[in-house]
Amino acid sequence: MDSHLTSDRVDMDDNETTTKFIVNGREHSLKIDNRDTLLDILRDHLRLTGAKKGCDLGECGACTVLLDGKVVNSCQILAARIKDKDIRTVEGLSQNETLHPLQLAFIENDGGQCGYCTPGFIMAAYPLFESEEEPSTEEIKLSLAGNLCRCNAYGSIIDSVAYALEIKTNE
Amino acid sequence: MSEQSTHAPAVGTSYIRTDLEGKVLGTAEYTADIALPNMLHARVLRSPHPHANILGIEIGSATKLDGVFDVLTPFNVPEGKVAPDVPILDSRVRFVGDEVAVVAAVDIDQAKAAIDLIDVCYEVLPFSTNVHDSLNSASFPIHSEGNLVNGGPLIESRGSIKEGFDQADYVVEDSFTTPDHHPASLEPRAALASWHGTRLTVWKPSRGIHADKNILASALGLSPNNIAVVGPAMGAGYGSKDETRTSVMAALLSIRTGRPVKLELDREEEFLAGRRRHSTYTEIKMGLKKDGTITAVHAKTIMDTGAYLSSGPGVVRRAGQGILYLYKCANVKYEGQLVYTNTPTAGSYRALGAPQGHFALESLSDKASEILNMDPLEFRFKNHVGPEGQPGERTTPRNQIIDTQPVEGGVPFSSNELRQCLKLGAEAIGWDRRDYIENAAGPIRRGIGMSMFIYRGGPGGQSNAEISLDQDGLFTLNVGFMDVGEGSSTVVIQMAADTLGIPPAMVRINAGHTDKTPESPMTAGSTLTFSAGHAAMQAAKDLKDAIINASLKLIGLGDSEGLYLTPNGVKSKCGESISFLDIVHNAGPIKTLASVTPGSKDYIVNSFGAHFAEIEVDTETGHIEIIKYIAVHDSGRIINPRLAEGQVRGGVSQMMGFTFLEDMEIDPHSGVALNASFLEHKSPTIMEYPQIEVIFADSIDPIGPFGAKSLGEPPCIAPAPTIANALYHATGVRINDLPLTPDSVLLAMKNLL
Ligand code: FES
Ligand code: FES
Repeated sequence: MDSHLTSDRVDMDDNETTTKFIVNGREHSLKIDNRDTLLDILRDHLRLTGAKKGCDLGECGACTVLLDGKVVNSCQILAARIKDKDIRTVEGLSQNETLHPLQLAFIENDGGQCGYCTPGFIMAAYPLFESEEEPSTEEIKLSLAGNLCRCNAYGSIIDSVAYALEIKTNE
Repeated sequence: MSEQSTHAPAVGTSYIRTDLEGKVLGTAEYTADIALPNMLHARVLRSPHPHANILGIEIGSATKLDGVFDVLTPFNVPEGKVAPDVPILDSRVRFVGDEVAVVAAVDIDQAKAAIDLIDVCYEVLPFSTNVHDSLNSASFPIHSEGNLVNGGPLIESRGSIKEGFDQADYVVEDSFTTPDHHPASLEPRAALASWHGTRLTVWKPSRGIHADKNILASALGLSPNNIAVVGPAMGAGYGSKDETRTSVMAALLSIRTGRPVKLELDREEEFLAGRRRHSTYTEIKMGLKKDGTITAVHAKTIMDTGAYLSSGPGVVRRAGQGILYLYKCANVKYEGQLVYTNTPTAGSYRALGAPQGHFALESLSDKASEILNMDPLEFRFKNHVGPEGQPGERTTPRNQIIDTQPVEGGVPFSSNELRQCLKLGAEAIGWDRRDYIENAAGPIRRGIGMSMFIYRGGPGGQSNAEISLDQDGLFTLNVGFMDVGEGSSTVVIQMAADTLGIPPAMVRINAGHTDKTPESPMTAGSTLTFSAGHAAMQAAKDLKDAIINASLKLIGLGDSEGLYLTPNGVKSKCGESISFLDIVHNAGPIKTLASVTPGSKDYIVNSFGAHFAEIEVDTETGHIEIIKYIAVHDSGRIINPRLAEGQVRGGVSQMMGFTFLEDMEIDPHSGVALNASFLEHKSPTIMEYPQIEVIFADSIDPIGPFGAKSLGEPPCIAPAPTIANALYHATGVRINDLPLTPDSVLLAMKNLL
């Protein structure tokens, strides 16, 4: 039987450390278990559940967030690595009720069906949106290649990101 | 649509998906996102053996562990059943990953730690990981009635295949296999249960909250009145998320501990304890006259249902639908066997058995046209079933509703634009150039292929809808069905709004809670738009009448003739008007409930389509590249073009997994699934996404709501045979075993030399 089905840790030693980090502009100082992942910290401690647990193994991208501006699978980031870091999740994109252009684009182009992958795709597309470049469709695809959509809404996801980039250039 | 309407109709427009905003904001709540105070976390101990009796379980040290509240085993759970062959927990395990025991603890780490302390004494039994071994008379029975479900095949036939084959000038035959294809929805199964003294509330991803409530009630021995099932947003299921033990175990733990209990499966568990598409082995045979007429079709399919039955009987029937009905033919026979094996359970997965059956049928049709020296498209033009249906006698009594997957002849379709689909697709792909494709020197070979399909869908079970004009002057549609990500809420709102004559933005939807919604059938078999649409339209029509009646008195008019609804309220032809707010303030909120059993006593309601692909095959690497993909569908009137297009593009791309990549591999020596992860069970990514052009045939079904038919599953049927036929055209290699991996392409090319 594969290890995922059995326990990976039994020790109950005190593994907690107080860690400071910033999420969506807000500073947090939390006592966290060193063995927790950033995804668990977001979901269980901060109740920010936009990032999803599709695999917990770094294989699907549903948990994508930004760590100091870089796209990461938050399920693969251990607590120790978030000390003093600046984290951005999908919940931090909209500003006072105004949707981020990427969010708007995903709505207008029907970029999500069940929506479970949507926060991950939006966060994965974020640096592309911020960059100065004008990416080709192939480059858009490449930057989203680590995210799975089992509804296979890929066509509309590509359309959404391309549309967001277009709104940006036209602004 | 009322002519007096003062605004544009919503049906036929790409009204924005109603639940998308929460999804892009990250605020849409899925089951795993919900946390309750004092909640415990559960974890399942799964069988390491493919087949064994559990002789005893030692849970002493597990229960003594700090923070552990309860352990369920086959020996301490009530007798109820989750399904006829699935008790809450069983002292027999039937596949590697089958549930053995469940722990509830303060957190998931303690639950996992407790799992490791459970000692199970197994008596290991002989096992079988494939249907052929299971059917061997010497094999060990997996269930008491034996390994062949019902002891024999399901048999459906029309006419006499003996006569049909006697009339044939040629007989073409072959055999085909399809893989264990896993839906692997991105959201793994999860359930949260909370017991309050007498009443149980369960949150779970669900395609039918009312059906799930009844299953929970019968498994746990509770009255359905004491159970509420809540369906939060669902990270899709594609049909696969029908009830398993997950929510029953969470519920039982909550009842026993008095605390809310959440059970989330991890990715590997979702692969093992979820549901997969039945793998199949099909032998198929077609009789042909020299002029291309089909005289007989006979197919035998063996389907692997895995350890449990799930929805197998329905799926095995549907695998025969194309075989029985896609081609005009008086003599057809389909035999479907469903066989238990010691592997993860197969169940419903988008389009059920249709992709498997059509892969065999549509590959064979191309072979038939070759023997006849006929163009494959011409062969389909000559033989496809037309609007008049199949030859033969109607057997359904005149006063009864016609089955949507009939065998009998003599019944016409309510609409059938298959011919139009063939024409439109041929034009779009440029079928004319197919015979003249020139390949440059080098390893790349280009080819064009196509296939067509028929699918039931449309009328489903009895469906209810309630709609109200509320205190705030807006409307609420109250329905018991679940939007599983396919957009049904949105299209039903569009239909209700147009029926009322108001903009869809004025209609909210309330769904997903059994206490607060009228009963509805499951979101299954592509029946929702049709069934729920009819119910919503009826309720909206009744509400419109009720509102007009209420306003008559208020405006002081004598007859309702000249009254109609506008976005602002009710108006009369002569210019009197009253706002919705004034109506409710004076007459109170108005509510209507409609219940409909959709269907037809005169017609078969089916959807149709044809897919075409142009591909390039690299004969050195075996890689297949899709250059152009055209999907043409007759789904009746399209209610929401953008959503519909997304369904088709998504369905086609999803089936590229079935066609090229996905196969859950079970080690025959140990019964262990070798690739129960996203890394190893390869699914299409955005890099593999081909350009897919979607064309909807000009079609309005006279029976469907606003002329609509089914759409959710049909896109999944034709991709595999379309690509396999294109591969043959490009290379002369026909592969009968999916998936078409580079390895299999290379091997087949080598064998050709
Ligand atoms: S949940 Fe992190 S990559 Fe899948
Ligand atoms: S929209 Fe369902 S997984 Fe992407």
